[in-house]
Amino acid sequence: MALSSLGFLIHEAFLNIRRNGLMSLAALGTVTVALTVLGAAVWTAYRINEIAQQQPLKLDRIDVFLKTEVERPQTLAVRDRIRQLPGIRAVHLITKELAWKQMQSNEPSLTEALPDNPLPDVLEVEPASPSEVGALTQAFRDQARFPEVEAVNAAGQAVKTMLGFARVVKVIGGCAALGLFIATLFIVHNTIRLTVFARRREIRIMQLVGATSGFIRLPLLLEGLFHGVAGAAIAGGVVLFCGHEVSRFIAELQSPLVGNVPSLVRPVEVVAGLVAAGALIGLTGSYLSIRRFLKQV
Amino acid sequence: MIELQDVSVAYRNEVAALAQVNLRVGKGEFVFIVGPTGAGKSTLLKLLYREERPTQGRIQVAGHDLTAMRPREIPHFRRKLGIVFQDFGLLPNKTVYENVAFALRAIGANRQTIRRQVPAALEMVGMAHRPDAFPHQLSGGEQQRVAIARALVNDPPLLLADEPTGNLDPDTSLGIVHLLNHINVRGTTVLVATHDSAIVDQMQRRVIAFAQGRLVRDEAHGAYRQDEAVVFHREVSAWR
Repeated sequence: MALSSLGFLIHEAFLNIRRNGLMSLAALGTVTVALTVLGAAVWTAYRINEIAQQQPLKLDRIDVFLKTEVERPQTLAVRDRIRQLPGIRAVHLITKELAWKQMQSNEPSLTEALPDNPLPDVLEVEPASPSEVGALTQAFRDQARFPEVEAVNAAGQAVKTMLGFARVVKVIGGCAALGLFIATLFIVHNTIRLTVFARRREIRIMQLVGATSGFIRLPLLLEGLFHGVAGAAIAGGVVLFCGHEVSRFIAELQSPLVGNVPSLVRPVEVVAGLVAAGALIGLTGSYLSIRRFLKQV
Repeated sequence: MIELQDVSVAYRNEVAALAQVNLRVGKGEFVFIVGPTGAGKSTLLKLLYREERPTQGRIQVAGHDLTAMRPREIPHFRRKLGIVFQDFGLLPNKTVYENVAFALRAIGANRQTIRRQVPAALEMVGMAHRPDAFPHQLSGGEQQRVAIARALVNDPPLLLADEPTGNLDPDTSLGIVHLLNHINVRGTTVLVATHDSAIVDQMQRRVIAFAQGRLVRDEAHGAYRQDEAVVFHREVSAWR
């Protein structure tokens, strides 16, 4: 195809988008909304999974909080008793003084408001294997065996819950994404069909003067591609902005679990993925409607 | 240029639009196709530009066997034809120049070709003075001239016109037929399907008459017979 013909076809495609402004806007809006929801679902599932996966050190650790009235010798005795249990790799003592000192440097305003140190001694228990976490946590919670223990916090449980949640988000997000993908495809398909119908006289003349099917199809395919890509680019921007805001909000919460886990996915990859999906939707939707229409003309 | 051998067209309800038509049209001829509504004139033209296929028989146009033609070969075949319709078929949002250029652009012609051939086609039909006008700013006769320019811009050897004067007054119709005659004199084979008895009678060119799908008359210098005209006028009156 000659360069001037390609230029003419691109010009025709954009002229048509401008001429059918309202219809184009509707298609663009729908693609944007659908791909934003799709992108947000995929992005959320990915981020949760990413955060959960980056907690390997915390996964197997059990924090045993002792009662505040427990004296140091008793603490050391509990530590020794735990060390003798089967399935234990190591036990570290975080004294209440050390914890208070850390808190003073991290949260000075909070510690200033307190009359004295309210923190308990904490024993950080590392099991020999992750499979021991459940049994050990239960054992530490048994008040008959460990009356000095106030609370047990297995970070691994939270990570497991998070991974489970990520799995649910992935499944629901995947189904929603598939549904939205098909819905968007139909919307673009219908929009292009209306455009093609509005241009039936032009297409008829093209056919009668000897334009090939490819030549007739190309501007309409370009139109579908434009709707898909432009909608996806806007959706990409919305997903990135919302993702950034949500991450900032979570960081402000200073959750020890989430912390500042950096994302391995770069913004450009998010936009590129959405644009690729948009292009696929736009091209497929318009191709299907043109194919059906050209048979009827 | 055109050869039909035992051509028949039947639709699903088994009505024969054309029945066993044999016809030859030589290069450079000017032919009127006449007959009442439903006689098969438009079906014949549709067969000639491969809009329809015969259910039986063989058709050759400009060296192409249309009965054996594959769909992807149709666009290239149609580049050898110019087609003109009663409703002009101009694009309302394009100027006269753009409408004519559209036919060349649609077949991938380059800019130099368009710049050279569009003004020449407009000059030939007498519309060179209004290249920037839009169709709604033109009279019916002027719109048909532009449609003829578009049909001829690619310099096809065969021009097919389906009721080209159907929407025009008698004087304008005569002007259009003289234009078609002028095009024919330059070497283009012209086939005109028409109900317009005045122009057929005045031109005294070859006339092929159809009735109920059959070729009933083929005269080298014919006229529009009154009996055929009466049938047509009766049909129009009944329709009104």
